Amino acid sequence: MDIEYTSAQKQFRENIREWLSMHVPKERLPSFDTAEGFELHREWERTLAKDKWGNVNWPEEYGGRGLDLVSWLMFEEEYYRADAPLRVSQNGIFLLAPTIMEYGTDAQKARFLPPMASGDEIWAQAWSEPGAGSDMAAIRTKAVRDGDHYVISGQKTWSSRAVFADWCFALVRTQEGSERHKGLSKILIPLDSPGLTRRPIAQLDGDPGFAELFFDEVRVPVEYLLGPEHGGWGVAMATAGFERGLLLRSPARFQEAAARLVKLYKEHKDRLSSGVGEQVIQAWMNTERFCAATYQLVSRVQAGASISSESSANKLFWSEMDRHLHRTAMTIMGAQAELEEGLDAIDNGRWLDGYMFSLAGPIYAGTNEIQRNILAERVLGLPRK
Amino acid sequence: MDFRFTEDQQDLIDAAKAFFVGENTVERMRKMVAGEEVDDLWPQFAQLGLLGIMVPENAGGLEQPLVVMAGIAEAAGYAGLSEPYVELAGITVPHSKEDEFKGQIRRAIHSDLRPYEDGSLTDTGESVSSIDPLRNLVKAQGSHGENIESVNFHGAVLAAAQLIGLSKRMVDMSVEYAKDRHQFGKAIGSFQAVKHQLANVYTQIEFTRPIIHLAAIKGGAAVHNAKVAAIDTAMLAAETAIQVHGGMGYTYEVDLHLFMKRAWALCGEWGDRNYHMTKLEDYVLNGDAKLGPGQTFE
Repeated sequence: MDIEYTSAQKQFRENIREWLSMHVPKERLPSFDTAEGFELHREWERTLAKDKWGNVNWPEEYGGRGLDLVSWLMFEEEYYRADAPLRVSQNGIFLLAPTIMEYGTDAQKARFLPPMASGDEIWAQAWSEPGAGSDMAAIRTKAVRDGDHYVISGQKTWSSRAVFADWCFALVRTQEGSERHKGLSKILIPLDSPGLTRRPIAQLDGDPGFAELFFDEVRVPVEYLLGPEHGGWGVAMATAGFERGLLLRSPARFQEAAARLVKLYKEHKDRLSSGVGEQVIQAWMNTERFCAATYQLVSRVQAGASISSESSANKLFWSEMDRHLHRTAMTIMGAQAELEEGLDAIDNGRWLDGYMFSLAGPIYAGTNEIQRNILAERVLGLPRK
Repeated sequence: MDFRFTEDQQDLIDAAKAFFVGENTVERMRKMVAGEEVDDLWPQFAQLGLLGIMVPENAGGLEQPLVVMAGIAEAAGYAGLSEPYVELAGITVPHSKEDEFKGQIRRAIHSDLRPYEDGSLTDTGESVSSIDPLRNLVKAQGSHGENIESVNFHGAVLAAAQLIGLSKRMVDMSVEYAKDRHQFGKAIGSFQAVKHQLANVYTQIEFTRPIIHLAAIKGGAAVHNAKVAAIDTAMLAAETAIQVHGGMGYTYEVDLHLFMKRAWALCGEWGDRNYHMTKLEDYVLNGDAKLGPGQTFE
């Protein structure tokens, strides 16, 4: 086992640190779930991309630096340490991009990756439907082949960022009469297509963080099919593996929150009951455990391992860790916890925002109940029925 | 940065696990509980080189780092190994002077070495009864040796590693039981109420092992984190396992208790939860350590 960074990696860390110290906005940007905040975050993506900091682990030809995943983890560490803006492009760069790199044609890579990296095209995910949530194989939105187009009809929901985004990647039923996991395909769809209506959904904080999408005979060129036709389930599972297993939530985000939590505790400790300190320590411990586990996972992936069912444990761990961490902050803040903004609100309501968002963690990317089923059945070998 | 065992190290750990599990069967453990004669494993430990895992190569050992010993300790925990092999090979031997290795190993083979012996600590010969029927405890006297910090470091890491090995074994036993035991016309393992509890324990084990490995390499606060995480994981594993086994889990007849009681015992050894939590209080809440991203491996 080798836990040393190379001297090149150490230099890389210095470089990121320096760049971020000069470029991270002094004021926190408004939420990217508002129209104004979305465009400011898009601008930030452009700033990152201009100096090739947006996707350090991507191949150089698509706007990356061709670095390994350890370097990506280091980038994330410096990024969150610098309190840089959240990534409005996360659905694209963390979830779709690895899938395009694995399944996309050369033409698709050239068409989609550079504008994704530059922030010119921001992506939303369109998988869930009103009748297909945890039971994703119940998808009914259909795409019918008509010459060199697909004609898409149906409804998607919980589509994060879709209110302001430019494109979505959808999982739809391309094979008529097919059932469950068979006959599905992954199709990339411009959100301004004729026949596509977006209805914003206000999330817990009141902002339209996601949308319902209504498809009324939306025509999409067949070149936007990603991966094999009718083989979309496998393609989607590859995305889910990245999402649950590694890219969506790197440890740095939580470690930064844990360090802030310790600071919050120290500022308030005179009025706290005796058990709170242990909760703070537990939150910190969890983030360190998550970090150690992620480095071990990255080491395995770099040695050629693929991320499979065990990634469900990852998603369980970080989502519950995050909720516990933020709940502890709510406990510490006491009567001030409910204050949204203004002088009396601690950290301008950031903990409250964080707590609300942490409640979504055990639900999105496959509910934690589904993850537990996956672990029990596919990893531990318990019977499905 | 390659936070994995090398292939050779993994082979060594796998071989040790196969040996422990193959030899220390539950039948053997039950015979030992009943006071019956069983095969003496010490000569085999010596023969297979297991006693020299941490001994320098020029003294005839394999000169492996503590993290490899932690991998082997996890395997020993999984097997419920009752001999104080881990303590000898991972704590006593590495803290012995070079000319003492052979003596220590010979004493181990003759089974008169006590697991926690260090420097001037000697046993009184007065035994103490543990709830773990396979744990041979004696009262010790004297003062700790000069290596006490390093001894405690090894001890905490290796106890944590054994605890997650025991935890995984309890999960596996519970899975087997839940596949076998039928109620309402189905295997109880098909019920989500059972599945989800076992998935929780699995998750805790998977997110404790890496911090144990980090602790073994880096020491420091990671050691306290690792031991507390291992304690909480093992207690959860034990409580979940007994729940999944139902009434059978509460009996002396089902094998589970042998592993569960070992876990209880190791939770309190080499720094109990209070000790390590107090250390973490100093580090996280009262100290001025740099916390946050980018610190874990630096």
